[in-house]
Parts: sequence; structure tokens; C-alpha cells
Amino acid sequence: MNLLVILLSAILVNNFVLVRFLGICPFMGVSKQVETALGMGLATTFVMVVASAATWLIQWFILEPFGLPFLQNVAFILVIASMVQLVEMFLHKTSPSLYRSMGIFLPLITTNCAILGLAIMAVQGGYTFIESVVFGLGGGLGFTLALVLLAGIREELRFSDVPKPLQGAGIAFIVAGLLSLAFSGFAGLV
Amino acid sequence: MSESVRMVVVLTVIAMVSAGILSQVYSVTSGIIEENAARELESSVFEVLPGISKVEIIKASPQDRLVEDDPKEMREEEQRITLIYQGLDDSGKAVGYAFVGEANGYGGAVRVLVGVGEETNKIVGLKILSHAETPGLGSRIEEETFRSQFIGKSVQDPIALGKDIDSISGATVSSRAVSEAVRRGFDEATAAYKGGN
Amino acid sequence: MKGILNDLRRGLWSENPTFRIMIGLCPTLAVTTSAINGMSMGLATTFVLVCSSALISLLKNLIPDKVRIPSFIIIIATFVTIVDLFMNALLPDLHRVLGLFIPLIVVNCIVLGRAEAYASKMPVINSIFDGLGMGLGFTWALTLLGSIREILGAGSIFGKQLLPEGTPTLGIMGLPPGAFITLGILMALMNMIAARQNKVS
Repeated sequence: MNLLVILLSAILVNNFVLVRFLGICPFMGVSKQVETALGMGLATTFVMVVASAATWLIQWFILEPFGLPFLQNVAFILVIASMVQLVEMFLHKTSPSLYRSMGIFLPLITTNCAILGLAIMAVQGGYTFIESVVFGLGGGLGFTLALVLLAGIREELRFSDVPKPLQGAGIAFIVAGLLSLAFSGFAGLV
Repeated sequence: MSESVRMVVVLTVIAMVSAGILSQVYSVTSGIIEENAARELESSVFEVLPGISKVEIIKASPQDRLVEDDPKEMREEEQRITLIYQGLDDSGKAVGYAFVGEANGYGGAVRVLVGVGEETNKIVGLKILSHAETPGLGSRIEEETFRSQFIGKSVQDPIALGKDIDSISGATVSSRAVSEAVRRGFDEATAAYKGGN
Repeated sequence: MKGILNDLRRGLWSENPTFRIMIGLCPTLAVTTSAINGMSMGLATTFVLVCSSALISLLKNLIPDKVRIPSFIIIIATFVTIVDLFMNALLPDLHRVLGLFIPLIVVNCIVLGRAEAYASKMPVINSIFDGLGMGLGFTWALTLLGSIREILGAGSIFGKQLLPEGTPTLGIMGLPPGAFITLGILMALMNMIAARQNKVS
């Protein structure tokens, strides 16, 4: 039950992008087409799950026992950067087709603040290992959902007559605002 | 020096310098940070225990023992220590005590501070210290109408959602977190306070 | 001298990180619930940006190209942690409001972006002014967004009551949808201003 609450909360109620404002850069940057949005979303979800497991281990088996909480930022971001690198190398070797579709997004994921944010929030929330991983999964799926929804709307927007200054980022932000408004309807779901 | 050796050396040096600087900054700031938190908590005690003029901190373990004099034992017991804030009036008489309770809500931990009357053993004040609940919904646990439900409850009361505490509509998880935090903290604190005295 | 002024000016308008390049958007949206929060976040980022640009520019010839990015990340994360700890010690209330977004300065694309694109190639003085310009450009954007949201959402600015007591306010401006919509409209305004400038020149 608790795991389900964490999962649903991360996907819908406290959606990483639309409610917590994490990962806005890729949200705006790669949401022009549904297909690329989905690829980016899934690649990010994958990294999030791996990173939430890795940072949990670092926090509770290295930083806490040795009294080094002040190294959290440095350690986490390095772990995330190396995780992204490992995932990239792994995909390159094992699944060239998946690598071709996800590969271009991977370097961008390191600086996606949703991943570092997720790791820090999981520590602050005092989550167990399993809870952290579920939180990572939920965060990633929520990110994917928001990204694909925005991309779907932006694909349609190409055929509509948007005032010139609003074209591009302007209208995308307003659409995101409306999505965020819709997502606030999920508040109190659980 | 070959290229790869140079890479390793440079990265190691940067990482070591960084760790060194940060440990210095941390040792300077951590004391101030803890002091701030303690001072803030103490001033909150005045809010939940009306009519007091002084706060005293009692460290008590749930095993009815005061352990603050024995550093080694204190380290072992650190995880299980309950901090109790005793409120005294002008004449130095105990008016009541306050404790911190914690439970997981929607967006993370919800921490509450609860004041209990010395004689009546009933809750006289409740403050939400910190939470990360949804603004406008879960955050309504801070509102007076919700918090006032806890006033007058004693440790024998159920203090449970659906029994004697009404949930805020649409914020069940947040409401439950508060009542759980109060419940849990109340049990621990009563045991420690009454036993410790 | 002229070069330095150009370095400073670039971030303020023509390459403004928020409105023109559109990076560092997470804190832009998340902490701008009030003018003071936006400004504080901007200044914290400026500090990190100036310090890390200066140091990276100093060390640029010592750091081998292949470990460039990890080295930059460690340097940036170190300065961010310093800001995080000092802010927690000296300004605890502000630290609580900005919360998660202080450590997240590490992954603010502005900082790493300037390190990679500018500081790792240019002399120290230029890098410092470039960092300062970008930081202040980010700061004014956040302060503007924060002010608009605070006026419409709470009727005050920098905590001072602006609209008469009892004026109805838009609570939604303080919530996430208000952040997105305000930024969208501001972007459109900046586009209009830029288009007019281009026409004149």
C-alpha cells in the first residue's frame, strides 16, 4: 500500500515536472515530437531507477556511517554522471537499436535536475531501499507522462494560428500551465 | 607523465581539495545550523505551552533512564532518545511539557510539536514544525480548525483518524500523518517523561 | 576594457539565460513565488557562477581535456555546497524556502554551460565578468517573475503590501500553473521587444 502511494504520488499528484518543477529543460527541449519525447522519457526513467538505487547505497553505506553528509552533492552528481556513462556503454554493447533511439538523449540526462532532485528527496524523505527505487520509477514515469502529453499537444499546435511572439516557448509554457492546472485535480487522490 | 596518469592525478587532487574545503566549511557551519534549529524549536515550545517563561530540555531514553551523563551509553542510545521540552513558569514550577512527533505524509515527513499540560496530562497546543504536503490541500493541516481537534486529548484517547479526529477532505494521507505523529510521540514522551521524573 | 563590458552585457540581455537561451528553468519556475525568493536564488546562482568560472578559467591548462567535465562538476558542486551550508547557517528561513533548489544549482545548465563554453577557453577576468553578467541576467529575470507572481498572487512586493487590503488576489499565481503561464507570457513579451529592437537596428 505504502509503495503504491509513493508510486502514484510521484507520477500524478506530485508530478516531477508539472508540480515539483524538476526537469523543465528537457521538458521544453525535447517535447516537439511524441516519439522523441517517449524515447527521452524512458531513457530518463531507466537512469532514475538505477540512480536512485545507487545514491541510496552511497548515502546509507558511505556518507552516513563516515559522517560525510556535506559531500552529498559532490558524490551524488558524480555517481549520476558515471551511471549515465555506464548505461550508455551498456546499451551501446548490448542493444544497438535501443542505443540508436535513446543514445542521443543520454548525455543530456546528467544535467536533468529531476535525477539529482530525486536522489536528494529520497534521502530527505527517509525512504528505504525499495521505496527509493519505487520513487525513482514513479518519478521517471511521471516525467515521461508529462513529456509525452506536452509533445502530443505541441504536435497539434503546429496546425494552429498562434500569435507570432507566443510561438515556440511561449505557447509551450502556457500549455504546460494548463496541464499543471489539470494535474492539480489529482491532489487528494490517495 | 603519461596522459592517463595525469588524468587520474588531476581528478584525485581536485576531489581531495574539494573534500578538504567542504569539511572545513562544514565544521564551521554545522554548529551554527544545529544551534539555529535548537533555538527555533525552543521558541516553538512557547507557542504550544501558553503561559511559560522558560524551557528546559530533558533527554530521556524510553527505558526510564536519563543517559546524558554517560557519553558512551549516550552514543549507543542516541537513536532511541526522546527529547522532551519542559515548560516552566516564572516561579520555576513545571507548567507542562512538549515533544516532537514525526510520521510520513504525502510528500515526506510531517513533524509536529505538541504541548501537554503538567497536571491535566491533556494536549494544550499543537504546531506543525515542517511538512512537504501539497500546497492548498495537504498544507491545510496547518489550519486552526484541523489542529484544534487535538486539543484536550489525553494519552488514553485513541487519537486516530476516523475515531476522534476528522480528516481534511481530500487530504487523508496528510491528516493521518499528523494524527500518527501525535499518537507515536505522545506514547513515547509520556513513558519517558513520567518515568524520567 | 570594452571586451569586459561586452562580457558583462551579454548575459543581461542579448544572451539572457532565461528569456533568450532558456536554460536554468527549473529554479526559475519553482522558487519565484515571491520577489525576494527569486532574487535570493538568482544571487546564490551568481555567486556559484562567478566563483566556478574564475577557478575553471585559472585551471584550464592544468585539467586534461578528457576529464574536463567531471572536474568542472566537482568544482561547481563544491561551491554549491559552500553556499548551501552558509545559507543554512546564516539565513535559515530563506534556506527552507529555497530548499531542494539550492543543491540543484549543481545541475543548473547555466553554470556548467558557461564553464564549458566560455570559462574553459577565456582569460580569468573575462570569465569572471561573463559569469557575473549571466548571473545578474538570471537574477533580474527571476526577480521580475517573482515580483509579478507576488503582486498578483498576494498583493505585495518584497513582502510589502502594495494593493489595498482586501483586494481580491489570484491564489493560483503562487501555485505551479501560475508559474508556467506567467513565464510563457513574459517570454512572448521579450520576443516582442527583441523583434522591435531588430526592426529598429
